[in-house]
Amino acid sequence: MKYDLEFLKKKSEKYRKIIIEMVYKAKAGHPGGSLSCIDILNYLYNYKIDFNKENRSRLILSKGHVTPALYAVFLDLGFIFQEETGTFRTLNSRLQGHPDRNKIPEIDANTGLLGQGLSIGVGMALGKKLKKDDSRVYVVIGDGEMQEGQIWEALMSGSHYKLDNLTVFLDYNKLSSKSNVNEIMNLEPVKSKVEAFGWEVLEIDGHNFEEIGKALEYSEKSKKTPVFIIAHTVKGKGVSFMENNPKWHSSAISDEEYSIAIQDIERGI
Amino acid sequence: MKKYEYISPRDYIGDILIKEAEKNNKIVVIDSDLASSVTTHKFQKKFPERFFEMGIAEQNSLGVTAGLATEGFVPFYVNFAIFGTGTVWTQLRQSCYANLNIKIIGTHSGMDNGSDGASHHALEDIALTRVLPNLKVFNPLDLEDLKGAIKRAVEIKGPIYIRVARDVVPVIHEKEIDFNEGNSEMLFNEGNDYLLIFEGTAAKQAIEGFELLKEKGYKNKLLNIRSIKPVDKKVVLKEAEGMKGILTIENHTINGGLGGLISEIVGESVVRIPLRRIGVQDKFTESGKTEVVKEKYGLSGKSIVEIIETF
Repeated sequence: MKYDLEFLKKKSEKYRKIIIEMVYKAKAGHPGGSLSCIDILNYLYNYKIDFNKENRSRLILSKGHVTPALYAVFLDLGFIFQEETGTFRTLNSRLQGHPDRNKIPEIDANTGLLGQGLSIGVGMALGKKLKKDDSRVYVVIGDGEMQEGQIWEALMSGSHYKLDNLTVFLDYNKLSSKSNVNEIMNLEPVKSKVEAFGWEVLEIDGHNFEEIGKALEYSEKSKKTPVFIIAHTVKGKGVSFMENNPKWHSSAISDEEYSIAIQDIERGI
Repeated sequence: MKKYEYISPRDYIGDILIKEAEKNNKIVVIDSDLASSVTTHKFQKKFPERFFEMGIAEQNSLGVTAGLATEGFVPFYVNFAIFGTGTVWTQLRQSCYANLNIKIIGTHSGMDNGSDGASHHALEDIALTRVLPNLKVFNPLDLEDLKGAIKRAVEIKGPIYIRVARDVVPVIHEKEIDFNEGNSEMLFNEGNDYLLIFEGTAAKQAIEGFELLKEKGYKNKLLNIRSIKPVDKKVVLKEAEGMKGILTIENHTINGGLGGLISEIVGESVVRIPLRRIGVQDKFTESGKTEVVKEKYGLSGKSIVEIIETF
């Protein structure tokens, strides 16, 4: 699969800065999870979703609270404008706290209530098969989100219908809003659980573009089974004081923290 | 008393969907393991590739319905009313928020699932659905009303909930109905005593009550609210004018359903008229033959007469 590593790296640096700036200006938002999944969104939106195609692939951001990551990419793709970024989470803005496709039509699903996105993805994948549309459906879910029962209903149906046009990324940053996901409610062993539901499961470093690319290539060749990619990530990735700190699940950013964060991202810690 | 033919509209859902699907290849049906109870097994037989069995996983089923709508299909999720609204309420709410073109048909409304008992009695589905923006709520009466409602649901782009009786209802209509959202239907207009307002799944009891009152010399009106949302406010207020009172009749809790809806309309208007509500009185019901459960919990022709006589 062709991709440009330098291009992706530069984009992620840019997106990370936008994420920090949006949360800083809004004095609210979810920077930690946005930074953990941004490399995955970067790859998918830049290489896998062609918005010019009528029957295009879809991306459902089931962990809908990480809108800063989504809007950072959308700003770059021209779906939102620079002057809008300062309106995130404020009245009359298109940049809602959680994704709203009525305001931004390039959003494929309204999410935010956790556990629901994968089911919508299953419906889209079934629909694409029925239409004989060979594009794909990508769903990004969070680890805390896997505690929702509906995720497991959706996993069951994905393999039952042999949805080989469906790929799930688990943004496995291991932290939810309070502390370690697996201390709150243990998900492990995730891999064998998902495999037992009939999916092919891969494990990758969710910040390594080469591994993301290879996993995607693998999922496109998979036949008769959907693919579940456990992407090991770091919550707050790229910002020293945010990394692996649950405080940054959702928090406002001070002036000083803002400067440090931007420097960290530019230095590429 | 006038003799009616009685039918269960539930029995025709599969057939109606087949007819619509023959005209529109975007129509698909989603099931949660109750196809034979809601008659969509007929659709499955006719269009196996357009029928998606999701198993007993209602929340996933509704999400799948949303996904199919996003891909341009006209998906009908057909299930018992309690599952199609209550079990999936936040999933439904998200679909309404996104204004997706999903259609839900809820059968076994109110106490229609008699012997299954309180757990299965959908006494809240009108309340749960009519609070959701973008969602239209239809409550057809008999076969022709249901045909009209489904046909209109296919034409409208957006989320729709159709509430369908499992119990028998009298056959009122013999010809195709021009079913439109926001339209009501004055079934009988005999004078200026009481305005009886009912929803389709309580049609049998409403008509019985109306007829019993007629035998006693009352000159009432009987209004069918076939579209709960949007609702025909104008007709409700116009017909209420000059009457002695309004009685709402529903196979639902009196809270937040038809009675609540009509109370809101009247309460916000300049019309000053007493109003009483027939339906389940803020209680959980119990198992029994549908008809006797309805009678015990306040929905019967007899209870309508009692309320009017002590109005």
